[in-house]
Amino acid sequence: MQESTVNIIVVGGGSGGTLSANLLAKQLRAQIQTGEVKVHLVLGSRQHIFQPGYLHVAFAGQDPTEIVREERSLVSENVRLIEEPAERIDLKSQVVTLTSGRTLHYDYVIIATGSVPNPKAIPGLGEAALNFHTSPEESRRIWDVIQKFEGGHVVVGIAGVPHKCPPSPNEAAFLLDDYFRKRGIRDKVKMTFLTPYPRPYPAEPMSKVVEPLFKERGIEVVTFFNVESVDATKKEMCSLEGESQSYDLLIMVPPHRGADVVLKSGIGDADGWIPADKNTMRITGYENAYAIGDATGIPVSKTGVTAHLEAITASDNIVSAIRHGRQLYKYNGRINCPFEMGSGKAAFVIGSYDMPVKEIQPSRIRYMMKMAFARFYWRTLSGSLDWLFGLYFGKTQTVEGA
Amino acid sequence: MCPGPITDLFRAYRNSNIGDVIELLATDPAAKSDTEAWTKRSGNEIIAVIDEKDYIRIQIRVVKKGK
Repeated sequence: MQESTVNIIVVGGGSGGTLSANLLAKQLRAQIQTGEVKVHLVLGSRQHIFQPGYLHVAFAGQDPTEIVREERSLVSENVRLIEEPAERIDLKSQVVTLTSGRTLHYDYVIIATGSVPNPKAIPGLGEAALNFHTSPEESRRIWDVIQKFEGGHVVVGIAGVPHKCPPSPNEAAFLLDDYFRKRGIRDKVKMTFLTPYPRPYPAEPMSKVVEPLFKERGIEVVTFFNVESVDATKKEMCSLEGESQSYDLLIMVPPHRGADVVLKSGIGDADGWIPADKNTMRITGYENAYAIGDATGIPVSKTGVTAHLEAITASDNIVSAIRHGRQLYKYNGRINCPFEMGSGKAAFVIGSYDMPVKEIQPSRIRYMMKMAFARFYWRTLSGSLDWLFGLYFGKTQTVEGA
Repeated sequence: MCPGPITDLFRAYRNSNIGDVIELLATDPAAKSDTEAWTKRSGNEIIAVIDEKDYIRIQIRVVKKGK
């Protein structure tokens, strides 16, 4: 890399990383063309998965190939793709080392390495439970299994925290209930929703929406159950709280951890979450390094929408630093998680750092909005639909020093 | 914000040993009642709830974990 060139490296090609690279390429197009700036995107995988799509693969039989695209097809031609995972990130030396040993020096970095479902954190969980957070294939396995299920006790829920997409365990319960009803075997299935939290959904206003719906559908709720271990032979789980729970079919969201590269680089906490400023997205102690999306330890939901909005803030801050060196954009913590509640209805979990989550009832129109977003997802990665996000979300960041 | 400080409590609990003290700093007003409900159910102990200027400090002693 030339010394006169400003090198920006984005590590990770999920929602946040892809959007960051594309936004930087768009806003710095002139500087990229003159060679003043280079934007590099370091990929952990050549495939990009629309992860919210796991739900419909697992519980509605969607074709898993429909939620996967080649990352190359989603990235601006002004972004230099590096199709080799990062092995180590040295924030002090400003160097990213790839698995081949090749090193890349950066002036700015955005770390968007996501989170990793970690069933191994709980003895027996990986062998005993199906899950829809790891891959399209694993999600498809659930669909294959439930099609053959003729009755018994299904336990679905959260094995441990944290995990990405907070509504997804509840959504799984609603869609399973729908599925068994459609098959006409619901009366042969006992359903239990199991959670470490004090209520069916962690944020109380939305839990008030979920609780009566679960009751109406005959879905029992077990709270304060942090799974300690699972015995696949006995088909029984024990909790850290000292309780036990039996099952015939187990579908659990595993606890998540940070990415391997974060753990190996020692730039996160013990579980690999990167400490960052919840507003500017700057990594604590560094002015030229940002972390976004699931990779951070900031107190906000780990979701695609969050990663998207944080990508806007981080890339704006880098563009601003290159152009003006003084403006600082600040993300306001806006979340907007689609929340499917069965029978073709959905709600959204909406809040921000200053606005507590509010109660929103499910409706058909919100379901249509969720499905429309799924269709538009690939286009949102280019940043070309951010005007629409802006109209819907309103302000998601403020600017200081303009 | 969801899922809030209770997530941090559970992360710490999973990695704790009997006798450890977990200190939870929270701005979320639900943190106190959620922690009280959890300790009651799990058999663990709240040592202190301290109102600081902008947050509450909850100290929990781990006295029970697993069967």
